[in-house]
Formats: sequence, C-alpha cells, structure tokens
Amino acid sequence: MTRYVLRRLLQAVPLLLGVLVLTFALVHLAPGDPVRILGGDGGDAAYYAAMREKFGLDRPLPEQLVIYLGSALHGDFGYSYVQRRPVFEVIADRVPATLVLMLSALVISTGLGIWLGAIAARRAERAADRAITVGTLVGGATPAFWLGQVLVIVFAGILGWFPVSGMTAARGVTPGFAQLADLLWHLVLPVTTLGLLQLALVTRLTRAGLIDALREEYARTAQAKGLSTAAVLRRHALPNALLPVVTVIGSHFGTVLAGAVLTEIIFAWPGIGRLLVDATLTRDYPLLMALFLVASTSVVIANLVTDLAYGALDPRVRLQ
Amino acid sequence: MGRRRIGSAASLANLLVVALVATACAAPAPSGSAPSGSAASAATKPRGGTLVVAAGSDPGQLNPAITTAGGTHFVADNLYNGLVFLDVNLEPKPDLADSWTVSPDAKTYTFNLHKGVKWHDGIAFTSADVKFTFEQVLLKYHSRTKSGLESVLAGIDTPDDNTVVFRFKQPYGPLLQRVDVVEAPIVAKHIYEGQDPTKADANLKPVGTGPFKLASYVKGDTIKMVRNPDYFKPGLPYLDELIFKVIPQASTQILSLERGEVDYVSGIPGPDLSRLQANKDLTITKSGAGSGGSFCVTTLIYNLLRQPIDKVEVRQALAYTIDRQQILDQVSFGQGKVAISPISSSIAWAHNPNVTKYPLDPAKANALLDSAGLKKDANGVRFKLNFVHATSFAKIGELMKQSLAPIGIDLVLTPLEVNAANDRTFVAKDFDIGSASYCNGPDPEIGVRRMFVSTNIGPILFSNGASYKNARVDTLFDQAAAGATKADRAKSYFEIQDIVTKDIPTWGLVESEGYRVFAKKYSDLYYWSGNLAEATSLAR
Repeated sequence: MTRYVLRRLLQAVPLLLGVLVLTFALVHLAPGDPVRILGGDGGDAAYYAAMREKFGLDRPLPEQLVIYLGSALHGDFGYSYVQRRPVFEVIADRVPATLVLMLSALVISTGLGIWLGAIAARRAERAADRAITVGTLVGGATPAFWLGQVLVIVFAGILGWFPVSGMTAARGVTPGFAQLADLLWHLVLPVTTLGLLQLALVTRLTRAGLIDALREEYARTAQAKGLSTAAVLRRHALPNALLPVVTVIGSHFGTVLAGAVLTEIIFAWPGIGRLLVDATLTRDYPLLMALFLVASTSVVIANLVTDLAYGALDPRVRLQ
Repeated sequence: MGRRRIGSAASLANLLVVALVATACAAPAPSGSAPSGSAASAATKPRGGTLVVAAGSDPGQLNPAITTAGGTHFVADNLYNGLVFLDVNLEPKPDLADSWTVSPDAKTYTFNLHKGVKWHDGIAFTSADVKFTFEQVLLKYHSRTKSGLESVLAGIDTPDDNTVVFRFKQPYGPLLQRVDVVEAPIVAKHIYEGQDPTKADANLKPVGTGPFKLASYVKGDTIKMVRNPDYFKPGLPYLDELIFKVIPQASTQILSLERGEVDYVSGIPGPDLSRLQANKDLTITKSGAGSGGSFCVTTLIYNLLRQPIDKVEVRQALAYTIDRQQILDQVSFGQGKVAISPISSSIAWAHNPNVTKYPLDPAKANALLDSAGLKKDANGVRFKLNFVHATSFAKIGELMKQSLAPIGIDLVLTPLEVNAANDRTFVAKDFDIGSASYCNGPDPEIGVRRMFVSTNIGPILFSNGASYKNARVDTLFDQAAAGATKADRAKSYFEIQDIVTKDIPTWGLVESEGYRVFAKKYSDLYYWSGNLAEATSLAR
C-alpha cells in the first residue's frame, strides 16, 4: 500500500515536470509582454529594459526555462510580477476561499445527488423518477456561466434574497456567529452554480447503479428474506452502486476546479480561480506557472485518493 | 491495480481551456471625460459613516509609487498624498506642499511643505521623504514619472526640512500637473530606505500621510481603511471608514450598487445608464478624469509604414466616411463626444477647436481614392485594410466595416485579446489600422506627446504607433514642454493639432466620458482624484 502510494507519487513527478514545461512554453509564447503591461501606457524604452533585466526576461527563452526549473527544484518558484511577493504566498492567500467553495459544492452535490438518485431508483419509471431524470438532464446541460448570471439576476437582483457577489458583506458584520452566517449566505448562489453539474452526474449514476443492483440476485434474496425495500437499498444495493460515484467525484476534481474558475469570476469570489484569470490578463508568468502546478498537483492527488478510496470500498480491487 | 480512468488528462485540459478563454476576454477600454462637481463648503458636515467603493480589480499591493496600475492607485492613493492636489479642473492646489514658486525661466520649482505632517506611524514627514521618493522610487519604478522627468531633471535639493527644490536642465512647464498623488505619491524614507521598494513588506502594511489608514486587506475581496485621526488637513476626513470591495464585472458592480451593497461605482455600462438615471437614490456625474487615466480619446492608428494607408488621400477618405456620431451613439451610448483633435476638449487651454474637419461625405471620399489611383475592381473593392483591435473595439470595427464598404474599402476585422492587440500594434507593427484609447492625462505633455514624436516610435505600448515622423511636430512638442506659461505652451499645442489633423497619422473617434455613480446620501466625492474620499461625508 505504502509502496503503491510512493510509486504513484513518483510517477507524478515527470507528469508535473511536463506540465511545467508545457505551461512555460504556452504562457511565454502567447502574445503580450508582462513588462509592457506592468509599465502601463507611460514607460519609455529605458524603463522597459530595466524591468526586463530585473525579471530576467532579457535572456533567451530556453535559458529562462533552465533557470526557472533549477530554482523550482530548490523550492523557489519566484515572485509575482504584479504583487511583488513569492508566488506561493500569493496563492496561499486565495486557497481557503476556493476550498470553501469547492468542498461545499462537492459535499452538497454528492449528498443530495445520492439521496435524489435513491428516490429515483426506488420509484423507477414513476412520476418522481421522471421529474428527477428530466431535472438532472437539464441541470447537467446548463452551463455554469449562464446559470450563475441567471441566479444573480433573479435571486440577488430581483428578489434580493442573496448577496450579488463576494464572500463577505463589506459592512455591518460582527465577528463570531454573524460572520459565519454571512459566509453561508454568500455561499448559496455560487455553490448552486458550481454544484449543479456535479449533482446531476451523481444523481444519474446513483440511480443507474441502484436500479442495476436492485435487479441482482443478492438484492432479490434480501427482499425474499423479508427486508424492506428501503433496507435493501441502504444496506446492500447502495454500497455497490456508489463505486462509480466515487470514481466520478474523484476524476471530476479537475472539472470542478475549472468550474470554480468560472464561478469565482461570476460571483467575484476571492479564490485562486480569479487569481488565475488576473494572472493571465497581466501575463504574470511566475504566478501563472505556480497556479498551473498547484492545480495539476491537486488533480494528481485527487486521483490518487480516489484510487485508494476505490480499493477500500471494493475488496475486489487490489492496489499494488 | 483497480480499474483506471482517464480523468486527469481531461481535467488538466479543462483548466487550460479556461485559462485560454480568460485570455480572450479582454478588459474594456478605460473611460472617462469632462469635469463636473466640486468640493463643497465644509463647515457643518456630519462626521462618521462608511463609504463602500466597488473596485474593478484587486490592487495586488498598496504602494502606488512603484506602479502606474490603475487598480493599485484607485485604492492605495487614499493612504498617501502628493505634493499638490489636482482639483476638478486639474488645477494644482496645496496638498503636502502649502505653496510653491516657479522661477521665470521655468527651470527651478520650489515647494514649501506643510509643517507638522506625520506619517501614519507618528514619525514626522520632511523634505528628505520627498527627495528619497523621487530619487529611489518614482524615477526608478513609476513608468510615467520616470519617462517624463528623468531626462530633464537636474537634481532635487532639500535646503531645510520644509523646502524641496526641483532643478531642471531646461525649462519645464508641466511639473505641477505631474506631482499629485497619482503621478507622484510620496512614500516614507524611514520605511523604504535600504530595501528594494518593489518587494518591501511595507507594500502590504502601508505607512502613508493620507486621510485614511489601512485596517485590513483580504486579498481579492475587501480592503478596509479607517480615518486617520492625525490627518494634517484640519477636520478631514469626515468618514470613519472607507472600504473597497473587489468586484471585477461592471454589471455586478451596478447590481451591488442598486442593492446597497456598495455606495460608489466608477463606471456605468451603456445599457444600464437610463435605468440608473431613473433611480432617485443615486447621483450620477460625468467625468473624463480619474486615477486610472484622464481624458481618454478612442483613437484609430494608421500604420504609415504600410501601403496604401501611407497615402494621405486614403486617410482623408476614411475621415470623410467613418460615422463617428454613430459610434458615439451606438457603441458609447452617448457617453462622451465626437473627438475634434487629439488633445481633449476637457483640457480647454490646450485644445484647438478650429482644426481641419471632415464632415461625412462618401462622394468626396470616393473622389479622393480615385484621384490617388486606387481604382475599384470588378467587385467594387479598391483594397483591403486590416483592422487590428482589442475585443472591446469590436462593435466599432463592425460599424466601420459597414461604412467603408460603399467606398470600396474592404475592412478585415482582426479582434484580439487586449494585450495581444497592443503587442501587434505597438511592437510587431503588423496592422493597417490599429486602435487604442489614448489618455491625455492632466497635461498634453504626459499623454499626447508620446503619440506623435518621432523619438517614441515603439516598441512601447501607447507610443507613436503610426510611426509618424514630422520634424516640425517634434520641435513644437519640445517648445510646448519648455514654455513657462500656459499661453506660450498653448500656441505650440494649437499648431500641433493643426498639423496632425491634416496629416492624420491617428484619427480620434470619441472623447470618452465616464459616468460615476454613487448613493445620494454621500456628498463631495473627489471622483477625479486619487484621494477619493478625503472630504466625503454623509449628506446633511
């Protein structure tokens, strides 16, 4: 087991290195020059030359890559051009906001999705099932950027039930319980936006898995023993039906992260997604590279955790 | 080993796609124009209250002296002061300097500093701070101040703690317009001395002289400032708190304003204007000035290195054909006015209204193109022109394409992300027609000179993108900078405008005018200045 984890982590090293080289090429070859963007509309040639030298951008690209990788191996990922601080400090400031958003969306969509899937499976081909199926189809097909805007217009703009944007209210919030309530209140619309796709997926997978499982002989045997349908569902069918759900949650981590970027833009949520967009617009190379590294590392780890969880849930799966 | 999936590769691809999409969403062109409103009498204004301001981007760090980024200045300027304060007409008024004298030859400026000014940490402000700020920070890292002053400044002297003397190598007229808090915020020597000011911890724990002190900064979300009780201007500021809420999307800013979550928004998308004007709780003012860039003119840039746009007849034909009123109405939603010359009419003393004008006349345009030997082919097309533009100019491009087709010009539209468009226009020079929002700034020396002088032909953003060379224009700009009085300087600027509206290396479309909107319960927002809320109060 430990050897398996170590091997997987070691396997990830060349992958992450590849990501670094690829993103390095991608961001440096894209048009736009960080020094010109930083200098804005008023610098002269001497200013740009001085800044270029300060950031090492006057050297040939391959040399820059070698320097970057060399420093990265020593744990030095550079300074953000715009914020003038070490990149991981900049990212660390934003990680909690993204985690709160993503984890809330994942937990709620998974919990709710399993519950809805179970209802649909128990009442298969009846009205409740049809409603849930149609709902998940529509929900799964709704793009987050559209849904988010509509939610803002309806629930924040017209009805005024929820705040328009941000993670906290600017004024009138006292520390303590009110602060937590304020955060939850701000979370409702972004979590709905981010979680809906995931909710649809989990619901449909749970439903399909349960319907299959309920047709299996062990389920019929359990029913013949006199167990209630609910008990059969909970104790026997669900554990089997949930295996693909675990897979989906794990393998969609990157998709959810990408969705978080869109959601954070719509709701002015102060997480790493918006940081990524800002860094792209300002061509903040070191920050962009570090963000891609963080994102790809988290995807690798999420996949590893998924495989471990899979092994734990399904005794037939052996991790070597 | 369990069943494996192909999740990770797809997930990473998703992330890359999002980043690329983000690149394609260009930031809108800056807006603004025409001063209005003023600092009202202060005697009995109520104290207390909180002003929540929508900020379009996170400031990143809070030292305005090391950057010209509008996002940083919009927030951080409120913690600092300049030597002078520019009023709504951008006339210099006392700030850290109580008074100043200019030698008759305009080569020596002497500033008498306000006595008893204290930094937020209680240490006394002196002339040494001013000298240090210019020499060690502004002239190294503030791109506009560096490019404007470095080559003409002979030295800065501090004869005593309360006097600063700027000596110039040659007469220099526009200094007072470039020493306000936006162009030259003064930072503390005792805080920054001996370290790299671009990486100093103090950039996140700012110590200024300004009306507000930093209370907290939640990155990407909120910047909270509280009243500086020891502010050197008696009685100011009135507000207890000044809060910036980071809201990147303009539509979200407006919705937040309507819901009362924020009190001030510094720009209104055209389609929202009429709805907001009907809202009795809001005050709307027009302004071309702002800490992000003042008096901007949406401008076409003609690449004089390319045929056939290098022919003046072609550029004149374009001038006779492009319907600028239509662009103003349909693209800018009437926010602004049709440009007359490259110097904004808001800088009234320098603006020449009597330049060559080109009323809409497609027949004349056709005749001009015929006379230049550019005949129509069987399809009625004389030639193609490639219009390279940021996506924020896309609607302008579409209108131009429609207008130009009847005179036989096929406009090829090349919309790009704003940085890519700027790169292609000012660096690669791969375009026939380019576009930019050129901001005049408080003085034509700052924002107009760079468009036309032959020494500023790229590869610098917002430089002389047309590659225009005219020795007379170069000389006139030098004379204008050296003029001791505004009347002297205006003479040169008038002649420049006369020449460039005949040569047409660039073509101003619209003087953009931004609308600022705030909750009616507040009065006296200095929306044109870096020190937005110095005198703001809840209305009586």
